[in-house]
Amino acid sequence: MPHAASGQVPGAWIRPAGQAVAVFTQVQGIPGGGSLGEARLVQPMLMLDAGALGNRALFRATLDLEGWTIPNGEISPGSWGEGFMDRRHPHTYVHELVLTGDDLFGGLDRAARTGLSVGKGFVPFGSDDPMSRPVLRYPVNHHIAQILERAMVAASVRAGPVEFEAAVFNGDEPERPAQWPKLDRVGDSWSARLTLRPMMGVEWQLSRARVASPEHREGAGTPNHKWSTSVRWEGPLRKIPAYALLEWARASEAGGFFVFRTLLFEAQGSPGRHRVYYRFERTERPEELRTTDLFRSVRPHLDDQNLGITRWTVHTIGFGLSLWPTGGAIELRPFAEAAAARPRTVTGAFDPAIFYRRTEIVSLSVGLRAAWRMAGHRMGRYRDGTVHEPKTAGPHEH
Amino acid sequence: MSTSLKVRRLGVLAALAAGSALLRCGDGIGPTALSVALVSGNGQSDTVGRTLATPLVVQVTREGAPATDVAVSWSVLSGGGSLSFATPSTTDNLGIARAAFTLGPLAGQQRAQARVAGASGSPVVFTAGASADRPAQITPSGGSGQTDAPGRPLAVPFAALVRDQHGNPIPGVWVQWTVTAGGGSLSADSTGTDGTGTALVTLTLGSAPGPNTVAGTVSGVAGSATFSATGAHQPILVASVPIPPFYGIHDTYVRDGLAFVFAWDRGVMIFDVGNGIQSGSPADPRLVSSLVTSGGDVHNGWWFHNPVSRENRYLFIGQEGPGSIGSSSLGDIHVVDVSNLPDPREVAFYHMEGAGPHNFWMDESRQILYAAYYNGGVVALDVSGTLAGNLASRALDTIAPGAPSNTFIWGVQLYNGSLYAIDMLSGFWQLGVDTTSGTLTIAAGGNNVPERYGSDLWVAGGYAYTGTWGFRTQPGNAVKVWQLGPTGSPALVHTIVTPGIGTVSDVEVSPDGRLLMFSAEQGSSAGFHFYDLTNPAAPALIATYPVSTGVHTATFGTINGRLYAFGAKNPFDPALLILDVTPLLP
Repeated sequence: MPHAASGQVPGAWIRPAGQAVAVFTQVQGIPGGGSLGEARLVQPMLMLDAGALGNRALFRATLDLEGWTIPNGEISPGSWGEGFMDRRHPHTYVHELVLTGDDLFGGLDRAARTGLSVGKGFVPFGSDDPMSRPVLRYPVNHHIAQILERAMVAASVRAGPVEFEAAVFNGDEPERPAQWPKLDRVGDSWSARLTLRPMMGVEWQLSRARVASPEHREGAGTPNHKWSTSVRWEGPLRKIPAYALLEWARASEAGGFFVFRTLLFEAQGSPGRHRVYYRFERTERPEELRTTDLFRSVRPHLDDQNLGITRWTVHTIGFGLSLWPTGGAIELRPFAEAAAARPRTVTGAFDPAIFYRRTEIVSLSVGLRAAWRMAGHRMGRYRDGTVHEPKTAGPHEH
Repeated sequence: MSTSLKVRRLGVLAALAAGSALLRCGDGIGPTALSVALVSGNGQSDTVGRTLATPLVVQVTREGAPATDVAVSWSVLSGGGSLSFATPSTTDNLGIARAAFTLGPLAGQQRAQARVAGASGSPVVFTAGASADRPAQITPSGGSGQTDAPGRPLAVPFAALVRDQHGNPIPGVWVQWTVTAGGGSLSADSTGTDGTGTALVTLTLGSAPGPNTVAGTVSGVAGSATFSATGAHQPILVASVPIPPFYGIHDTYVRDGLAFVFAWDRGVMIFDVGNGIQSGSPADPRLVSSLVTSGGDVHNGWWFHNPVSRENRYLFIGQEGPGSIGSSSLGDIHVVDVSNLPDPREVAFYHMEGAGPHNFWMDESRQILYAAYYNGGVVALDVSGTLAGNLASRALDTIAPGAPSNTFIWGVQLYNGSLYAIDMLSGFWQLGVDTTSGTLTIAAGGNNVPERYGSDLWVAGGYAYTGTWGFRTQPGNAVKVWQLGPTGSPALVHTIVTPGIGTVSDVEVSPDGRLLMFSAEQGSSAGFHFYDLTNPAAPALIATYPVSTGVHTATFGTINGRLYAFGAKNPFDPALLILDVTPLLP
């Protein structure tokens, strides 16, 4: 078993974990107008982390069951990607399956530690996955700020507070939960991330990626060029565990014909058993041709036309209360979360006021988060010790 | 050793080997050898299963004298017959041996042989002609199961096969034909079987939709050959040609038995579907050549038949680059020289800043290409003479009938001296055309489909039909019917709304003006939709051909007197679908 506080784990260990969130969400302002309320079980995951050889060999597997619990996604105004619009798509069943070798050269690279990760999972780009962050509702920028569920080969070198990661992977996004990455496309895309940790709890990253034809599996789509930078902090604030993230990212497609930008800030304070959080987001997204189901867009693309670009300004606040003693393996946390989104036309013919029949879209979610051994877990990195390295009492225990 | 000496020595060795082999061959060549010869019985004919009238006879001699008590081995070589002879079969005192040959069941030539060990002339082979027995059975051998429009002659005649009890086809037998259901008519009351035992007759379907049946009988033969056909207004899939999935297939242009398939990053693919250059047909399209024009994104085209130069040299291709409806678009017109169809070459282009072409129409007699432009309006290009390089100087006029940021033209069509344009944003327009200068002016229409985005158009018989796309405030599930006034101005007279579709992606009227077709994408009713235009102001639905993954475009083509619909199945498992829609014609 891992020892989360020592970093001196001599033998092999294995650590299962899991979580699920039961939530009811009510939205005013859905495609075509009107409101919609629905109850869903979201983010049901089973995880397995393992290590051996003094954590020089690490393994992570994540089984995501959203393909069963939300096959048609969950209502989430502003969300888009993988053929879903205003609904968050379900992730693939095999969300992560990554084998990592760390400190491969021992002392040969002096103070540096060199690692290699192979498998399916997050490529080194951008910020942590929203699933491991305070707000339940995914940000609009998910497909701009993270690259996930790819078959990848990623190398990393860490020296003191600096870490550099680079990966090659397949550009294609999954089209359905049971789909695997297209292996013959592995290598058509790349990413790199530079991370600086100048002091305890502070992390800055700068990422760059070229993703070939992400939305057309056979590869006919235009490449997506991405930039991302963010500053993440966690630590005590007046003795209250706290967390904050400031993020900017940009994606351009079709040689710069389409450009999407995002700015996001989120923070959480965790006094005692309470969790209070807030997120501000301003993100641009493509307005694509929808199917007769107005929550879906045509996949794969028929061409490179869209209806325009909209900019979504979203404020989200939330409150949670842990029913279980803080720091335990099991967490049960009821929560309530409210969001107000204001979409505006940037370019094109798409007019949100006509499409949603209102200028401001509001949503309210109430639910219960159940987690087992998920405290301190971060999604999106494979050798920064999310399990086996010391952590402060994180505010992002999801 | 020189090469010539080697060759000479090899030749000597080869000659020695051949001589040696010859000495070893033969059936007992020597001074005291036996000989066997055919005496009689060869070349007879009779009906299968019967014994030939004359036995097969051979004579064996030794040095010219009859050889007695020589064993003769009889066997059948072909036809499945049998031989009857004395046992053991030996020659008599005249050197004679004989066998009776009963023909086998297979009509045609049958063979038997007599073999004498060590005798020259052995084996002696007899042939006999076996003719079929009396007609015993009649069965259908082709043409059944067709569907066509009521009242139309079937494309393939019914074929009945007449055979004897052994299954041998019998030529020269008269088959009596009878319509047993459906009320159709036959090309003949009776027809004779040909050399393959087959008799043919063509059914003209009854005037009412429904099953038609025909029976073929032969006098003295029990039973009949029964055939069925269906009279229905129903399209028939004759071919599905997979297209590489690199955005797949977008549009098809059909002319002179060639189908130009515009397949995005795989370029234009030219299929012979009846032209003859590759012996293709609608049921068996043959790829002639393909070409990826500069930048790919190959979307649509027009094969220009120039009546002035009498050349069919240029293929105009629209490149649909990235675009954002209502704000920007990219793409060029590419000109491909297809005078050598197996080797097309790109020779010219036209570029319009900030806009991209979508669909074309040509005034071929005046050599003017009208191009619908996303974010650019309508462009008139002079395409006379030889085309090369940048065609910027060929632009005659450009018009954006909608306001700025409100013009995204999907398609254009010249009709009765007016140019009609359908704009995704500002609706259906009538444009005036100065046919000498190519100057374009707004004549009528516009801003007349506010609730939906516009899509394709077709103008025929004094009416125009326009499609709708995507979701504006209403889904793009409508076809608008416009009546053209005395000046050609459009007035909306009818709207066809089809539940279960998200986009009407293409609209076309058949060359004879009797059939309206549109393709549909998204939803449970995606596919082809066909309407009877007997009343052009209120088209009547007569058939659909569902394609669950959607049809992006649909184009009519007439080949060998039949009407086909060429559909672009997209986006999943892209394919060129070819439907025979002749049965739909009213």
